[in-house]
Amino acid sequence: MDRRTYLGTVGIAGLTSVAGCLDGTIGGGETGNGSSDSGAPNTILEPPEMDLSESSHPSYGDELPSLSLPDPLIDETISTDQFEGERAVLMTFVYTNCPDGMCPALTLRLRRTQEVAAENGFSDDVALLEMTFDPERDTESKLRTFADEQGVDAEADNWHFLRPETYDRAKTIMTEDIGLPFKKTDAPEYDHLEYMFPHYNLILLANKRGIVERAYPNGASIDPSKVIDDVETVVTE
Amino acid sequence: MRRRDVLAGLGSVGVVAGAGVMAVRGPPSLDGNTGTGESQPGDSNETDSTNTEPLTIETIDAPGSEADAFRVPAADRATFLDFFGTWCPPCVEQMPALAEANERIGDEVLFMSVTSESIPNEELADWWEKHDGSWLLGLDPTAELTARYLAGGYPSAVAIDASGTVQWSDSGIKTADELVAGIEQALAAGGQ
Repeated sequence: MDRRTYLGTVGIAGLTSVAGCLDGTIGGGETGNGSSDSGAPNTILEPPEMDLSESSHPSYGDELPSLSLPDPLIDETISTDQFEGERAVLMTFVYTNCPDGMCPALTLRLRRTQEVAAENGFSDDVALLEMTFDPERDTESKLRTFADEQGVDAEADNWHFLRPETYDRAKTIMTEDIGLPFKKTDAPEYDHLEYMFPHYNLILLANKRGIVERAYPNGASIDPSKVIDDVETVVTE
Repeated sequence: MRRRDVLAGLGSVGVVAGAGVMAVRGPPSLDGNTGTGESQPGDSNETDSTNTEPLTIETIDAPGSEADAFRVPAADRATFLDFFGTWCPPCVEQMPALAEANERIGDEVLFMSVTSESIPNEELADWWEKHDGSWLLGLDPTAELTARYLAGGYPSAVAIDASGTVQWSDSGIKTADELVAGIEQALAAGGQ
């Protein structure tokens, strides 16, 4: 694609994407999860081409935020820490009423990773964590339906939906642990929605030590094969 | 200059998101306009969607469609794909324009809608009939095709020329004119 054309449309895309899910890199300065500037000895991948170390969300070399949340499908508490030494973690944040298809696009990256992991024999080396930040609407049955709609194998050992007990808890996690802006807004342009969440399309990849290898702030549009390749590299090297 | 425009756009998003004024850093990456992802800034080591192996996509019995298997993208002609889900309200809204585009130009390409959801074929065919689908309805159970061509969210459309090169793609609801124009780009590119 012609680069000028691309850049010319970015502004418009930015505005229209407010409908449901936001994408892009945001900075948070002091409040972020600071990382050391020089290399990260606990990582497997080389530093990313785009330095995101000043962003407000976790990035390369940071510890994956420690979260313990219910998986309503198996009625167990899942902790990000429990995978240390066992599995790499690929994690994203969605709500199933996402009106513009960005949350399905995020889910597609995890789902394809699940598929390729099964094909290439690394299913037991990765945990796919999808947290809803809309627990009021995303009940257990809603999440099960969403899994079918998105073709996810939610019964697999490597897949967990995480559902905070309350909206307030979800908000705290998104703003304080993950470091992203978060707000429930009206959805006047969508007849079927009472409210929505403009949000950033972040996917995090952490290695088996619980160290972030990649933050994909363009998680709904990044080439899925890039994410899968990164996961496979992290679990096999 | 161009970069500033980009940042201004993102800033607006930040305000609407209720986050107040925040610093925006680094090249932004926004969804829905990058087609195959070739132009995403900060994303090296791209897997280009040209030159990738074609996939075999099974189609189901439904109005305008029958149980069969197709090489996608086609080898001998251009290909148009619509990625949808029965769960996706905008995908329902997209159907009339798809029907019109198919009537106007569907004969000149491999014209197919594809879903990667887990749903019985009969339910899928019922949905298809209810929303007046009348062209090929394909399944992508591993989402491999979807992952290769989805241009952001759903619905998403892509027009591929006869050599397998993506000539146009877009997500969101498109008019019939937009769909036809995208397909014409793939036809004009030739590639045979």
